[in-house]
Amino acid sequence: MTKNNIRSTASFRDPNGFIFKQNGVLYRQINQSYASEYALLMESGLYAKLTKAGSLISHEEVDIPPAEPVHSFKVIKPGYMPFISYPYEWSFGLLKEAARTTLSIQKRALKAGMVLKDASAYNIQFAKGRATLIDSLSFDIYHEGKPWVAYRQFCQHFLAPLALMAHTDIRLNQLLRAYIDGIPLDLASRLLPFRTRLNFGLLTHIHLHAHLQSQSTNPVERSKKGPGWMSRQAMQGLIESLESTVKKLNWKPAGTEWGNYYQITNYSDAAFQHKRDLIDKWVSRTEPKQVWDLGANDGTFSRLASDKGVLTISFDIDPAAVEQNYQRVKSENEQNIVPLILDLTNPSPAIGWHNRERESFIERAPADLALALALIHHLAISNNVPLPQLTDFFANVGKWLVIEFVPKSDSQVQKLLASRKDIFPNYTRDAFEGAFTKRFKIHEKVAVRESERFLYLMERKAVDL
Amino acid sequence: MIIFASHLLSGLAAPEPYLDPGSGSILLQLILAAILGVGVILRTQWSRIKSLFGRKDSSDEDIDDEE
Repeated sequence: MTKNNIRSTASFRDPNGFIFKQNGVLYRQINQSYASEYALLMESGLYAKLTKAGSLISHEEVDIPPAEPVHSFKVIKPGYMPFISYPYEWSFGLLKEAARTTLSIQKRALKAGMVLKDASAYNIQFAKGRATLIDSLSFDIYHEGKPWVAYRQFCQHFLAPLALMAHTDIRLNQLLRAYIDGIPLDLASRLLPFRTRLNFGLLTHIHLHAHLQSQSTNPVERSKKGPGWMSRQAMQGLIESLESTVKKLNWKPAGTEWGNYYQITNYSDAAFQHKRDLIDKWVSRTEPKQVWDLGANDGTFSRLASDKGVLTISFDIDPAAVEQNYQRVKSENEQNIVPLILDLTNPSPAIGWHNRERESFIERAPADLALALALIHHLAISNNVPLPQLTDFFANVGKWLVIEFVPKSDSQVQKLLASRKDIFPNYTRDAFEGAFTKRFKIHEKVAVRESERFLYLMERKAVDL
Repeated sequence: MIIFASHLLSGLAAPEPYLDPGSGSILLQLILAAILGVGVILRTQWSRIKSLFGRKDSSDEDIDDEE
């Protein structure tokens, strides 16, 4: 591989090809071993159908030197994906949408004589309001009789977390952070309540599946019947069974910490409107291509950016708020907003092989513009982060920053301090400005009407090397 | 014994899959195949019968429907 080519550290499992960067542009090398599969994908009409529906990433074949010429069949340039998110950052609705898209692709592939050879949640990304398969090499030629190779992976990556979120606890999606190849089925089976055994789909695809895996270290006993055969109808039946099992899993956002945040804020209508107007103006002024709204709640302010056509990632710690945000994206068919779950006090780490398969939150930074509205007091007071450390964090996260300072006298901060000793003598507006001006230039500073809060528009200073 | 087991699994797996399908997962699919396959056949026949009487099955939410 030449110096210009950098192979993706997440792309090494599939011997049929890999992702690499050449002069900063992302390409995928397809190896000769995949030539007939690729031909069928393109010539059967499957590619055209799936890309038209938005469920498969489009690509163009390009004439550039391959990264590994010995094995190369073709090089393709996949459509640009400006932000990569991971399943442990998805709310229930996003994971369900990704699951349904995977199954609908599998069904469509079968009609074209192909089959998904993997069903990894990491192969799905959200763009233009849709779940999209980003791995163009996920298709294999279907041979009638063969069972689905990716069945277990589908159950581990999608069905088990969805069932756990719906039936046990919504926070169990975080198990995906610990188990990169999906939640082990025996673990899911143990954590699910007994009543899930009365559901045919969960009984078979999770509980029985887990049981057979523990039994199957010695499959010889069962082999006397000879190699099995799985007809096309049976394969179709399996996919439809998974589809109906997924469809019946539901979770309604309720009972979490921020669910009705905007009903309990201390903002007057005039203050709220003033804040909106300022953010709206500053988004236009900074002309970002990508905005990260940190602590976005249900995305009310994120939409000031996304409604302008700017890709906006709307992060919040509360799965209920993120789910509400996603339901709105779905019902209003919004194209430019991706709601994600993120705990800023412990953001997504780099995980996987060599810690290089899935990027940490910070590795995916910076955004062109970061919004930190009604957030800083939670980080500074609830999580005890000193102002200089907050400054460094935000300087890593955004080139531009719109940040709201919430003073100690604010009733929301008083609530945070009600049950603990005030060990924050330095949490003042002067100290805040002093800390942030070390890394940022303050372009604008406005007192929000009818409130004690201040909004700032800041730009990151060039780093001194 | 071991040779026999590997013969069974080599007969089942797709050609050179890079994922390990898991022998338990394959066995489960073969068990389900009998039940679910019959379901699909019955449903196909039923929708054929319905279509004889001019009723179209609209329950399918496949990508095909988006055309």
